[in-house]
Amino acid sequence: MLSFLIFLPLIAALLILILPNRIQNQFKYITLGVSLIQFILSLFIYFNFNSSPINAGINKESQFQWVEKLSWIRLDLGTIGKLEIDYFLGIDGISMPFLILSALVTFVATLASWEIKTKLKAYFSLFLLLNTAVIGVFCALDFFLFYIFYELMLLPLYFLIGIWGGVKREYAAIKFFLYTLFGSVFMLLVIIGLYFSVSDPVNGNHTFNMILMMDPANYADGSIFSALADNNLFGMSARLLAFIVLFIAFSIKVPIVPLHTWLPDAHVEAPTPVSIILAGLLLKVGGYGIIRICFSIFPDAAMQSAWWIGLIGVISILYGALNALAQTDLKRLIAYSSVSHMGFVLLGIASSTSEGISGAMLQMISHGALSAMLFFLVGMIYERVHDREIANFSGLAEIMPQFTAFVMIAFFASLGLPGFSAFMAEAFSLIGAFNSEQVNGLLPRWMAVLASVGILLGAAYFLWTLQRMFFGPTQLKGGDDWLSKLKDVNMREKIALVPLAILALALGIFPSLLFDKMNASILAFVQLILN
Amino acid sequence: MAGLEFSGFAALLSIVLILLPLLSFIIIIFGKKGGGGNLALANISIAFILSIYLVSLIWNKAPVHYQLNWFLIGEIQFTAGVLLNNLSLLMISLVSGISVLVHIYSRSYMKNDPNIHRYWAYLGLFCFSMLALSISDNLLLIYLFWELVGFSSFLLIGFWFTKHEASQAAKKAFVMNRIGDIGFLLGIMIIFSQFHTLDISILFGEDGLFNASVIKDNLWIFGTQQISEIWLTIAGIGFFMGAMAKSAQFPLHTWLPDAMEGPTSVSSLIHAATMVAAGVFLIARVYPVFDPFVLNMMVFIGAITAFMAATIALTQNNIKRILAYSTISQLGFMVMAMGIGAYSQSIFHLTTHAFFKCLLFLAAGSIIHQLHHYRDKIGLDFDYQDIRMMGGLRKSMPLTFWAMCLASAALIGLPFTSAYLSKDAIIVSAFEWAENRNALSQILPYLMVLTSWLTVFYISRLLFKVFFVKSNLLSLEQVQEIKDPSKKMTYVLVVLAFFCLFLVFSVNPFSSENSWIMNVFPSFNIQKNELFHSIIPIILTFGTLVLIVLSYSLYVKRDNFNGFGKGIFYRFSKREWYLNELYSLVFIANVEKLSKISYWFDQKVIDALVLKSAFLVRLLSLISSWIDKNLIDGLVNATGSLAKLIGRLAKKTQSGKLQQYLTTMLLLLISFFILTYFL
Repeated sequence: MLSFLIFLPLIAALLILILPNRIQNQFKYITLGVSLIQFILSLFIYFNFNSSPINAGINKESQFQWVEKLSWIRLDLGTIGKLEIDYFLGIDGISMPFLILSALVTFVATLASWEIKTKLKAYFSLFLLLNTAVIGVFCALDFFLFYIFYELMLLPLYFLIGIWGGVKREYAAIKFFLYTLFGSVFMLLVIIGLYFSVSDPVNGNHTFNMILMMDPANYADGSIFSALADNNLFGMSARLLAFIVLFIAFSIKVPIVPLHTWLPDAHVEAPTPVSIILAGLLLKVGGYGIIRICFSIFPDAAMQSAWWIGLIGVISILYGALNALAQTDLKRLIAYSSVSHMGFVLLGIASSTSEGISGAMLQMISHGALSAMLFFLVGMIYERVHDREIANFSGLAEIMPQFTAFVMIAFFASLGLPGFSAFMAEAFSLIGAFNSEQVNGLLPRWMAVLASVGILLGAAYFLWTLQRMFFGPTQLKGGDDWLSKLKDVNMREKIALVPLAILALALGIFPSLLFDKMNASILAFVQLILN
Repeated sequence: MAGLEFSGFAALLSIVLILLPLLSFIIIIFGKKGGGGNLALANISIAFILSIYLVSLIWNKAPVHYQLNWFLIGEIQFTAGVLLNNLSLLMISLVSGISVLVHIYSRSYMKNDPNIHRYWAYLGLFCFSMLALSISDNLLLIYLFWELVGFSSFLLIGFWFTKHEASQAAKKAFVMNRIGDIGFLLGIMIIFSQFHTLDISILFGEDGLFNASVIKDNLWIFGTQQISEIWLTIAGIGFFMGAMAKSAQFPLHTWLPDAMEGPTSVSSLIHAATMVAAGVFLIARVYPVFDPFVLNMMVFIGAITAFMAATIALTQNNIKRILAYSTISQLGFMVMAMGIGAYSQSIFHLTTHAFFKCLLFLAAGSIIHQLHHYRDKIGLDFDYQDIRMMGGLRKSMPLTFWAMCLASAALIGLPFTSAYLSKDAIIVSAFEWAENRNALSQILPYLMVLTSWLTVFYISRLLFKVFFVKSNLLSLEQVQEIKDPSKKMTYVLVVLAFFCLFLVFSVNPFSSENSWIMNVFPSFNIQKNELFHSIIPIILTFGTLVLIVLSYSLYVKRDNFNGFGKGIFYRFSKREWYLNELYSLVFIANVEKLSKISYWFDQKVIDALVLKSAFLVRLLSLISSWIDKNLIDGLVNATGSLAKLIGRLAKKTQSGKLQQYLTTMLLLLISFFILTYFL
């Protein structure tokens, strides 16, 4: 099942490569079909997902669902032992929500791809390849496999930004590529270190199995990352160092301040569908990695660093919001708002309370949907008049009422209006962070207090934009020419926007749709990291 | 079982009640342009009938509490439910009742607006959130609807969004309310962290968790939980901050006067009668949270607000702005009353205020409406909300005039009106409260008396300028052409006027003690003093009458009296204590600056560092490529050249001439012998 989900887009990509250029205008329908099938399958998984505590997953291999495990590479390395790499997929409450999000965001991004007019064959095959990689990351339970998918995401993204992007696309693409590569190269070292430290209790082979890495008993005595041995490396605890390296690798993706500067450039230069994928899915890979890998494999180091992670979260929230307030380009504004919103994820995870982590998870799903919606909306304006300077528009509500209605939904949902998912997410991230001092003593209360100021700033930049661009008398820089081009929302755009709005609304009113599915896993996770 | 069935039934009714306006919102917003009036009115009317029915079922009986599971986080089950007690019943019947009236009024008032369907939809959303707020049984739900109320207020203030001022005011209202909301959220976090539940009746009921918590050694202890006492105070301040923003208390009040950019019917419903009372309602709902420090804070902020707003109202010229400041001032009274423990008096004043302030606004709306139409008719350009442009309307709009007079009488608390009962009750309690306190506290009741006299002055000024004095602009004949608005609008005024009378609230016109509202709510910590009860109302009324006569002689007898010169006090009041300027200077400008600085930092420091390091890598690669090219490759090439050189030299020896080879061999041989034998 999961393999089908992962490789369906790859098959479609190959198909597109084979098909003649003559019918290149049909490629988008193939892609759309693929994403629809994925969406239906992910819903099927959602409804058949068992959320009882005995299926919590996290650090118990037997509790994962939809598991596929095949031995993939077995290489006898003589004295070092046997190389054991598995093709190992499975999901639990932490990864399952991302499957639905991936399918939905891909669907929306495909609809946004209608604006792509050149080199369609290359575009759609890369697009589908990216899709394969993203879903693979969320399903992989073998660290080696995970790493392959993780790196596989970079390649299509680099080309998608570099070829179909805006004016400074090459600069943005290479910046993005180097930034993330920087993180993952060191990650590889840690993976190798882990490989040599951990052995499969069944056959004694070294293994890349992530779940085995979560159990301290599987570490060989005196191995580099053994919790008992507590080795030093460059003057600090090896496990802490490994944790920091992995954390930096993932937090570049999240992104955290100060490792975020690739994001505004990448977003501004990327074509709309790629921005949607970037904000909707790529950032979540970072958050997912922190939960699944950093915290689960190195809980001891995570607890040591929680204070700092919380602080980084708070700084990201406030700093991102302040930067958003200063922007004059709508897309850049939304990019910075992502930094701010993802800060809540970090804060929630750092709190290590079930409220905080539930909040962080919900925030990732919610932000996935909302940022996809926001970038889609920006793309709509840009596609029509090739401009997105806030100052060049005024009074759009008068000429594009439906568009404005969608913008208002997206803005208010993002700024945390109750009834939408972001409110529940941010509220529980904050509640978790506030509770932390009493429950586990990790985060001081002032962090939650300070972070809540971010909610105020969020209202300020979104409403200010709304007021400047959409309200007031209609004035456009491009005059009558723009007036004729700025048509209201068409059918295709509605089909893309409505599901996202519904998701945000549904999760805001019935957060149990998500909380119920992941509660068991979150409890197991909290137990794992606090012990 | 019967009890459970009954509570289920009542809860179901109340849920239907709140869903009706939501239904209006959904149907109308997706419906056709320009429609929706009938549906909105029908739904809100049914809601009103249901609320009256619920009152008849539950009023003064055991509260109905009904809840369902909402979601589960960790091991904590969150519930959603309704709590119907006297307070919530009073609120829902008040809100739905006034909403019905405003809906009827709006049918004429907003008649020709092309976007009227949006108006009905937004009103529906507002009624839904306000009603739901009133019956919610836990803090998270209250917070949810609290913000939705703010959101619908945002929509309605910005209803004419093409007007720059309107969209500005809408944004301001929402952002300022958000400041309060942060406090509210903080309060929720603290309560949740301490008690692990947000259910109001579990927390604040008679034998609730809150009463089970104790303060000992600067620690706030509940069971095994303990936390520094300061957090209790912070929680109180947090909830109070929420109330301050919503109920427009100093210093978070500046959004309310600006909110007058919305349609007048909206100002009447939301920014006078109902939504702004939500702050007071919240204080009432979580009352046990407030420790003495916060209660004192409430007293002083309420008093300052009441006084400040009254002084500002003295010099404003926009009719709605005067009324807005009057609202702020009255809300100050209510908040102060809550602070001194006059809980029931505060709720009572909330109720009476809702009616007379709604009436004042709707009457003002009638004037504005008629003037606006008249202006369009004669094609003159003037500000139809400016009281200086009005004048002499007494004869031409008699009904509006009398309605406004009655409402004003209630506002200043003349005998036989409703607010005579409620406002005097508050002032009397203030005297009782201050009796055994320090000097600062003792000034407070006098400040309230002064404020209530200022009220007399500003509202008399408004009445006289609008109805008595000759208009600055229009001639006598022109003024006579302006008429009372259509019957639909005036009927509403008449109904509201009825509710400004004492009889609705108490049989005895001079004592609030037997009022049906006072009886069902508690009062705290106030020593009763009979002397105050008899003397203070007399003094107040006497002063009021004197002031009315005085202002009559100032504004009506003397022609063209324009206030008290342009001195410093005048300017201070006219510019609304310079608070808007202060805020934009201190907060807005600084936040903007901070955001610019952080963006500068982002680009010039963080990103520059990244680019610098990238540049360093490139520099390194250039150097290594130079080394590669010139040194390493050079060495390789040098080796090559050397070999070549040797080869070239060696080549010369291979000339192929036999003599040369022989000579060379001979020379070598001779050299060998010389070296061996002679050296």
